[in-house]
Amino acid sequence: MASPLEQFEIKAIVPIQVGGLDISFTNSSAAMAAALVVGTGLLVFGMGRASVVPGRLQSIAEMSYEFVAGLISDTVGAEGKRYFPFVFTLFMFVLLGNLLGMLPYSFTFTSHIIVTFAMAAMVFIGVTILGLVKHKMHFFSFFVPPGVPVAMWPLLIPIEIISYLSRPISLSVRLFANMLAGHTLLKVIGGFVFGLGAITFGVGGLLPLALMVALTGLEIVIAFLQAYVFAILTCLYINDALHLH
Amino acid sequence: MSGVGLALRLGVDFVAGVVVGVGIGLLLDWWMGSSPAMLIVFVFLGAAAGTFNVFRTASGQGNAVGYRQAREDADDAKDAGAGDVKGKTTGKAGKDTQDGT
Repeated sequence: MASPLEQFEIKAIVPIQVGGLDISFTNSSAAMAAALVVGTGLLVFGMGRASVVPGRLQSIAEMSYEFVAGLISDTVGAEGKRYFPFVFTLFMFVLLGNLLGMLPYSFTFTSHIIVTFAMAAMVFIGVTILGLVKHKMHFFSFFVPPGVPVAMWPLLIPIEIISYLSRPISLSVRLFANMLAGHTLLKVIGGFVFGLGAITFGVGGLLPLALMVALTGLEIVIAFLQAYVFAILTCLYINDALHLH
Repeated sequence: MSGVGLALRLGVDFVAGVVVGVGIGLLLDWWMGSSPAMLIVFVFLGAAAGTFNVFRTASGQGNAVGYRQAREDADDAKDAGAGDVKGKTTGKAGKDTQDGT
């Protein structure tokens, strides 16, 4: 029987080699391209014939817009409007990556740490540059705890810096671990359906099958939740960089 | 967020601090050839940073680095006549690192 981890294997669809570098178009690239096409298509076709009474596609497009816009105005405030395109793109990309990964035979690119880490590192570097540009050298006062005796600074400043540097790691590991664990669990329970069903003439497979239905629902909830967490943490980081203490 | 989600988030927050600490320690050792002195120091600093992360997440301050929100909370608490949140934060981290280094 197939290993539960086989679904995460990267397979080249169009092998491309440039100067010893492997930049093949893989199943992961295909899933990312699909997320982009679906996301863009949703907005373009949804808003293409915009009417006062929205149709189904238009409602989805408007709901996702209002959801992210509300998220930003709640966490960052009016200043955050400039960062809407960035947060919205990240949110839709992660959400569609998670949701398209739930389709049978598809590939979940958010279950690869390098993909989530690249996104988290992009957020981290962007937010750091934003803070530096906005506050110049004053940005470094971020790491100095106010109201603490100077004698404690040599101890607390390294801790603050490590805490700051751990942001992209916790941001990326959270999304990656959730997706990896969820999809592995689905495959393992799916294996039980077949394994138990085969030796008991199908009766034993019913229980894991029922579990499978419930877990699929849970995975879809997690797909939304993790995209939401990724977006809200990005907003919180932007807020931190804009309003230092 | 659900209970399991929060627990997982706290775990990841703590481990991330330790991972960064180990990374910085190994990097400094490799650079200065002082193995394993820097690794030992930064494992404990990383653990302290991880504890900080967990404390901030658990007390509902998001992942904010810095003390802005802790101070606001402390002011609120003072207004309400309750305990001092900021004092608790720094006291905890100070204790952890003194144990370690």
